[in-house]
Amino acid sequence: MTDPRDIIVGIDLGTTNSLVAYADEAGPRLIFGSAGEDDVLLPSVVAFDAASGRVTAIGHEARAHAVEQPLTTVYSIKRLMGRGFTDLGDDRRRLPYAIERLAHSDGARDVAAVVIGERRFTPPEISAIILRELKQRAQRHLGPAVHRAVITVPAQFDDSQRQATRDAGQIAGWDVVRIINEPTAAALAYGLDRRERATIAVYDLGGGTFDISILQLEEGVFEVLATNGDTHLGGDDFDQQLIQLFTREIKEQFGLDIDSPAIKQQLRTLAENIKKRLSSEDLAEVEIGLGSGRTYRRRIERGEFERLIEPFVERTISACGRAMKTCSLTPGDINQVVMVGGSTRVPYVRQRVAEVFQCRPYTALDPEQVVALGAAVQGSVLMGVQRDVLLLDVTPLSLGIETLGGAMGKLIRANVRIPCQATETFTTFQDGQTKVKINVLQGERELARDCRSLGVFELTGVPPMPAGIPKIDVTFLIDQNGVLTVSAREQRSGQAAGVQIIPHHGLTREEVRRMHDESVAHAHEDMSAHHLIDVRTTLEFDLNKAEGMLRRFGHLLGQAERASLAEELRALRCYAAECTDAAALNARREAFNRSTIPLAERAMTAVLQTSGGVAGDEVDRPATASTTGGAPTEPAAQRR
Amino acid sequence: MPAQNGVLPAKCTRCAAELLSPVVCSGCQSIYPMPSGVDHFQLLGLERTFRLDEARVKASFRALARSVHPDHFTGASGEVAALATRLSAAVNEAVAVLSDPLRRADYLLTLAGGPSAVEVREVPGSLLTEVMILREQIEEARSAGRNDELERLRATLSASRGAALETVAARADSLPQASLEERREFRKLLNSIRYYDNLLSEVSVDPMHAAKTTHD
Repeated sequence: MTDPRDIIVGIDLGTTNSLVAYADEAGPRLIFGSAGEDDVLLPSVVAFDAASGRVTAIGHEARAHAVEQPLTTVYSIKRLMGRGFTDLGDDRRRLPYAIERLAHSDGARDVAAVVIGERRFTPPEISAIILRELKQRAQRHLGPAVHRAVITVPAQFDDSQRQATRDAGQIAGWDVVRIINEPTAAALAYGLDRRERATIAVYDLGGGTFDISILQLEEGVFEVLATNGDTHLGGDDFDQQLIQLFTREIKEQFGLDIDSPAIKQQLRTLAENIKKRLSSEDLAEVEIGLGSGRTYRRRIERGEFERLIEPFVERTISACGRAMKTCSLTPGDINQVVMVGGSTRVPYVRQRVAEVFQCRPYTALDPEQVVALGAAVQGSVLMGVQRDVLLLDVTPLSLGIETLGGAMGKLIRANVRIPCQATETFTTFQDGQTKVKINVLQGERELARDCRSLGVFELTGVPPMPAGIPKIDVTFLIDQNGVLTVSAREQRSGQAAGVQIIPHHGLTREEVRRMHDESVAHAHEDMSAHHLIDVRTTLEFDLNKAEGMLRRFGHLLGQAERASLAEELRALRCYAAECTDAAALNARREAFNRSTIPLAERAMTAVLQTSGGVAGDEVDRPATASTTGGAPTEPAAQRR
Repeated sequence: MPAQNGVLPAKCTRCAAELLSPVVCSGCQSIYPMPSGVDHFQLLGLERTFRLDEARVKASFRALARSVHPDHFTGASGEVAALATRLSAAVNEAVAVLSDPLRRADYLLTLAGGPSAVEVREVPGSLLTEVMILREQIEEARSAGRNDELERLRATLSASRGAALETVAARADSLPQASLEERREFRKLLNSIRYYDNLLSEVSVDPMHAAKTTHD
């Protein structure tokens, strides 16, 4: 087996669920959680304790808290990744937990943060909690040295969102060797065994994002011809339509405004369930108790639901059209449409896709698992296990700079194959100017203010010369991960100019490092707290058992021996009440158990002599009733 | 350094095998920085001509892309991985230019000494009138909702563009011997193709929309 240090796992960090998978020569497979082989989806939900800001639950358990603790249960954090507080818009209203602009010393930056009591968590920190949970899963299966991962992102993610994802991985202690696009990953999982040439469309509708990618597959080459989509379009929007419907009708019928986060959360859960039910049935019924004997009842037919979601589905179809236009293809050129993402389970979505592509959508692979499986395949490619695979992806958005007058000057166009680079020459407009600021943008719009600013890049160390004389070549390189790096060189001197990046919506390297260190400290704290409880429980059991033996068989020991054991027992009880160091307490517990061996042996002999060896049970049973935890192996019982 | 100033290197410094591309050793698969002055044709190991075989361009590209793609240098040092990324960017740029006839012609003109599209913005004399008439016809057809007329105009435009590209193909390979005046004319020809492309994008139909109407 491969050295765990070399293993590269694949992670699908989803809006709704996250998964981790691993691939070797035998192919990719999902890594399951503690509940068994079916436990592969980890809901991307984290529950916190409001007072301490500690994580109380992750995944299914956290999701179960969402209704009782809407303010401290964080879900859909992917929607906030790499985005500023000011550009959240609708999300701020929709999400029940509090979000604010993170306080920074520099006013230029705008990073959104989730408010939990006194603490503030940036989206990468919350994603890191999910990623750390996946890391534990991976380590349980593949060994503790596993630390390298491929993480997937929606193809439409911009640079800030990709950086935020990578930051999250680093905070969780992953070495993020590669970021790949979700539809591309899906194609990898799907097309690995295909040898014949095919053009496929990957239609990926998740909880919060939509991607359409057109790929050409041929002998291990996975070439993305075009990609399009929307980072704010997904199954969450379908739920939202139902929620809005219920809210409006409850207002009309009962004059009630629904503003409590708990009821909102309840509605959300309800909407999700109805959506799922209408995927297999034609009719669903809702009943919501509103207190004081009032009940809101509603029947929803599938057709009505479909009319509600139609505008959103049509937006996905338009994006498909734009992608096809980019690569000059028509639906007839597409051999197969692969469905990815949980929201493609909605029959209306499948129906529309079948109509426009004029073929039956391909659903042989579980749409919720295929991305993680593909990421694992990419992991094996990077490990050198899969040698003949070549992934050729494109950049989803045009990259440019703000020019005089506030226009967007495009340097790299959307749908260009990556890695790619462009060089632009800059100069100064004041005599003796030694710094040049460049506002770097991503987007398709004509005006800088309508595009997304990735940050201001400041060139430093420009030789002081008259205005317009220095010529600084600035190279914008988008790497295979779709992540931008900028370098600069003064033409005349050939000297590299310094490039300082002030990310608009991101974290600095130092912040990521600090968050990682903090998270390790917290994880350690949480783990030792957990461990301490375990040791205390076991100790309690051991002490009770010893006490019982002492009471029943103490007379078999000498007086001094008996007194010393009783004293030891009392002292350890006091110590346990105060001790917070799990390891130290466990050491004392083990020492105590060794000193009770003579008593246990004598008790055993006595019991065997009096009842012919059938009363071992009696020895084991503690005299006091309050036992907890499982029984540690007991020498007397073993001998039986 | 295996190569200098556009001269193709002869041997790999690591395994002494012959270098088939200026950046990759065919023997030990070592990669080398781009020597300055290497053009897109040399990088892909193709003859400098307008008449390229599409399949050959693609095959050369894929072979080279496999050799320099950063995914195959995960275990390498940061420096080598960064080199792989830069080389991949250069290879991607080269193939993008060479597989598009218009960009390929433009590139050949640049290699022959220009002029650039900024220096010469004019188009052949007759084109402006032609474009104006076509634009009017497109607007009329669109406001009248006449899809058949739009389709006819699209065909006309494609034919004109095709004819212009034919002329480009006929002249592109003699650019190195061409006079400045001839190169200016060539630039105007390229400009006219851009005009046709702009008009074509105005009459193009949304493939999804077309699909929906055929289905209804």
